[in-house]
Amino acid sequence: MTSLNWISISVCALAAMVAVPAQAQTTSAPQIIKRVCANCHGPDGNSTSATFPRLNGQQASYLTAQLKNFRGHSRGDPHAMAYMWGMAAPLSDEQMSDIAKYLSSRKPTEPQKGGALADEGRKIYADGVDANNIPACGACHGDHGEGNGTIPRLAGQHADYLKTQLEDFRSLLRNNEVMHANTKDMTNHQIEAVVSYLANE
Amino acid sequence: MLKGSSDSFLTRSILNTFAALIFAMAWSPGAQAVPSYARQTGLACEACHTVFPQLTPFGRIFKASGYTLSNTSKVQDIDRIKHYLMSLSDTPPISAMVVVSTSSAARAADPDSSRTSTDFPQQLSLFYSGAITDNVGAFIQATYSDQSGTFGIDNTDIRFADVATLYGHDVIYGLSLNNNPTVQDLWNSTPAWGQPFFTSAVLQGPAASTKVEGAMAQSVAGLSLYTFVDQSIYAEVGVYRSALQGASVAQNASTTNDIITGVAPYWRVAYEKDWGQNSWELGTFGLDASLHNPTTIAGEAVNQSLQAGPTDRFLDIGIDTQYQYIDDDNQVTVVGRGIRENQRLDATFPLGFADNPSNHLTTWDVVGSYYWRRQLGATLGYFALNGSRDATYFGSVNGRPDSNWINAEVNYLPWLNVKLGLQYTAYMKFSGATSNYDGQGRNASDNNLIYGYVWIAF
Repeated sequence: MTSLNWISISVCALAAMVAVPAQAQTTSAPQIIKRVCANCHGPDGNSTSATFPRLNGQQASYLTAQLKNFRGHSRGDPHAMAYMWGMAAPLSDEQMSDIAKYLSSRKPTEPQKGGALADEGRKIYADGVDANNIPACGACHGDHGEGNGTIPRLAGQHADYLKTQLEDFRSLLRNNEVMHANTKDMTNHQIEAVVSYLANE
Repeated sequence: MLKGSSDSFLTRSILNTFAALIFAMAWSPGAQAVPSYARQTGLACEACHTVFPQLTPFGRIFKASGYTLSNTSKVQDIDRIKHYLMSLSDTPPISAMVVVSTSSAARAADPDSSRTSTDFPQQLSLFYSGAITDNVGAFIQATYSDQSGTFGIDNTDIRFADVATLYGHDVIYGLSLNNNPTVQDLWNSTPAWGQPFFTSAVLQGPAASTKVEGAMAQSVAGLSLYTFVDQSIYAEVGVYRSALQGASVAQNASTTNDIITGVAPYWRVAYEKDWGQNSWELGTFGLDASLHNPTTIAGEAVNQSLQAGPTDRFLDIGIDTQYQYIDDDNQVTVVGRGIRENQRLDATFPLGFADNPSNHLTTWDVVGSYYWRRQLGATLGYFALNGSRDATYFGSVNGRPDSNWINAEVNYLPWLNVKLGLQYTAYMKFSGATSNYDGQGRNASDNNLIYGYVWIAF
């Protein structure tokens, strides 16, 4: 290749860098999700890795509340601090609400069925355990773990994510008075069981 | 170790030092972790790194997207159809790193030098790394190196990137302007950001190395076009040209030797599959460089006209793979790489600087590393190279460049941006032989080295 051709290519490339305009000012929720959120949370919020919770079909009010807690730093469990404080910082209330609404309209992932541990988990979920001060989860989170308003959908979430959240509520690493009261006497086995009932790997 | 046309100790020392410098430069210190990216995104180091400079799948996306993901406030301007004219971060993306180290070799490189060496600093680098506009970002490193006493441009990668949806697929595409083949790559299995990430400046290494393994670092300028589809399929093509050319530049070895004729094509294809906490990549890459006035491994230089002289052609084909398992408690990375170089010595052989009109050189390595909670880690790597028998070209006593060695390291990170390391390099074979490889009684194991370092990024 001659020098002239190489110079021409360079000039064209540099011109392209300068000439191609950035995206228009108003970025819609689907665009933000595709460009930023999807890199960890997966396309339409269905993530591969349990480090990043599934957001597809999650309750819109819950998502908005979490984004606000991230932006305001009131939710400070380790991954919230490491990842979401930065991610939520530049979002406006309107963007949060649009993102939440879009993700809540996506098709949720179903839980994986079956197993003895899941059966035990179903009983804990439906009836609670008096001896450990665990109320029936379903009373707030819905008969099928679908959530309601600011109370999140649990059904179909990553197992390790649910397990980490329950442990964090129990230890107050995730600061939530109600969930702390509900989990402070929960045993590790009970956590495994109820997660087994609700989750999809 | 080197063809000694003279018995002079001084000549041997100079040639040995030259070869060592080539090796040290070829092992380009890894510095991909840059705190200015953390300041720009608000993301902690663990979002993009297992332990710096090793990247996670998200870190690869950040790099592929042109280093532009940003959550800082900016100075901006738009035109009347609401397109951005500028988008400059309020915080300049400046960071620094410093490495302080000490080394102890089994036997001194020559009778005049010490067996032990302390470097303060071994390296001090400044980075301008971050978003320049919403679609253009940079990784620019300038380095002061204690051993050479120089301050100059180090690895640099300036990118344009954008995203698009094509037939339902997410496509990241972009251009990279860079000065080191594979510095722009996303995986830690290609040479520029491969293991070992940092080594002693006084580590004696075999002189033979393929051209893509750092021989051209910071002496070339490259432009490539790449795409990353669905965070899975990666393809890139580019060209490299020698930098520091032209009559207006002062004549030195960089401007008159190992000059790429025209351009050297570069290509890269890779496939990544992510599932659960796992990630696996398989890929191939290549570089085809024809060099005017090449220098041989033995240290001889062809000095002919740059306008018309014959060239040596180096065709490098590499295959690489990387597996990662990443969760909060355990971070595992295993890489494997093999590079085959065909050398057609049309300039070197006719002048008698090589025994064969063509040679081959193959290098390969396997490296595994494990970290517990990103705090305590251990890495073990096996490296090997072998090649044609050509005593004149490779400068080794028995004619072959063959070498193999192990590199083992333990690390402790009290904070995510402070890394302490203790590294041991042990040679089983060096420049063709296990014992007396240089004809002067030096054994491969004499180059074994213990190396301790502190690497701080801020």
